[in-house]
Amino acid sequence: MALIAVSGHPGCRYEEVARITAQRLGFELLTQSRIRALSAEEFGAGADAPVPDKAYPSVVTSILARLATEHHLVYCAVGGELQARHFPGMLRIHVVAPENIRIGNLMLDRRVERPAARQLLLELEAADRQDRKAKFGRTRATAELFDLVVNSESIGAEQIAGMIETAVISGGLREIGYLSRAAEAQLQFQMRLRLSRYGLVPPAKITLRNKMFANQSEEMFANLLDFYRIAWEYEPRSFPVQYDRDGRVLEAFTPDFYLPEVDLYLELTTMKQSLVTKKNRKVRLLRELYPHVNIQVFYQKDFENLVFKYGLAEQPLQA
Amino acid sequence: MSAGLPPGVERVLFTEEQIDRRIREVAAEISRNYSGKVVKLVGVLKGSVFFLTELARHIEIPVKVDFLAISSFSNRSGAPGVVRIAKDLDDSVEGDDVLLVEDIVDTGFTLRYLLQTLAGRAPNSLAVCTFLDRNSRRIVQVPVDYRCFEIPDRFVVGFGLDYNQLYRNLKYVAVMKPDKST
Repeated sequence: MALIAVSGHPGCRYEEVARITAQRLGFELLTQSRIRALSAEEFGAGADAPVPDKAYPSVVTSILARLATEHHLVYCAVGGELQARHFPGMLRIHVVAPENIRIGNLMLDRRVERPAARQLLLELEAADRQDRKAKFGRTRATAELFDLVVNSESIGAEQIAGMIETAVISGGLREIGYLSRAAEAQLQFQMRLRLSRYGLVPPAKITLRNKMFANQSEEMFANLLDFYRIAWEYEPRSFPVQYDRDGRVLEAFTPDFYLPEVDLYLELTTMKQSLVTKKNRKVRLLRELYPHVNIQVFYQKDFENLVFKYGLAEQPLQA
Repeated sequence: MSAGLPPGVERVLFTEEQIDRRIREVAAEISRNYSGKVVKLVGVLKGSVFFLTELARHIEIPVKVDFLAISSFSNRSGAPGVVRIAKDLDDSVEGDDVLLVEDIVDTGFTLRYLLQTLAGRAPNSLAVCTFLDRNSRRIVQVPVDYRCFEIPDRFVVGFGLDYNQLYRNLKYVAVMKPDKST
């Protein structure tokens, strides 16, 4: 199996490199947030009972091993280069960029002025060092830990992804095949021993929910977001919007998309007006109960106009 | 009301006179804000050409002009790929005061990509001027420093904006009929 570990300096947009690489190669992309969601689902770890830092590498290795029996993976998270060494077809990428470029990126991504971006970069670097130290016992990712270190100052994310694709092809990483069940069992045994110290038990089965869209419009919208290199997650969270007297959830609302870079949930409503009314009620309840959550509803007319704008329909459909 | 309008056009949204007046106002604001500097207008092909030309003519400080174009999204050929620069700038913008000139900003997808791209080229400053702003469709929040008009959620053509590459040369901005093809 191929495991491409992509990491980088804060602010150099290595996440975008990982996303484009996964798209070009048709590999599964595992980001920090997706790993967090999987460890919450499978290990029962969450905000109230987080995975201890020292157990984190073993939790991730266990998840990666399980998934690697069915997928080639692009893993984009801190310390990915250290996790990858457990796997046969690894390729470890590190993206760097000069400070001024990274400050510029943060100015745009976070919509802050240059002094604030500089300060933010310092904070992100400190957090990165602290996170790395807590989880992997070292503060720095030095060059010898990687197969390829790329300076993104004058090379775009797409070009870097092209380099990675070439390396995957020339190295025959796909041809290695998925991780064998025997190799996975051996890895899981090692991880089980380590995790037992923390009272964590690897689950019997971890599955990646494939991008199963409810309808063609959602898939088209996901393609549009991919085209514009905008990170998205499909139905990542359900919000309870109605409870009974005993506090049991009677009704929940799961927005279609979450755009982590802009902290925005999106709901597409490409259905009958009668159903839209029901959905509007849920959105209203969500806004009341979770005022900090940003949600935007895309109604059928909005969506069809968008579809027309991007050349997917022959005529504008607006009313 | 629709007398003399091209087929498919429902009504005029902004007349030639309204556009001229508003562009002069925005140009004056830009001239004030960039006083003592040289502003580099970067137009996004093809829609912004008409607006950029008119804007540049009314700016009263030294102006440089350059253009770029980006690839367009199409879902028809299967994998849509990713957005890329289809025609790059002729000159570097390093150290320049760049004003990105757009015909219209709606979802913010395109503008976000362009700002990210240009910000990485170390300009001295980077701002955005758009002819039309359809804020109701915004998904990605992007900074818009100068706008001539905010428009409703309708399909518009003219003054650079097209329908199947037509109508760009209209001197006014018009709303298309919803059932244009019938």
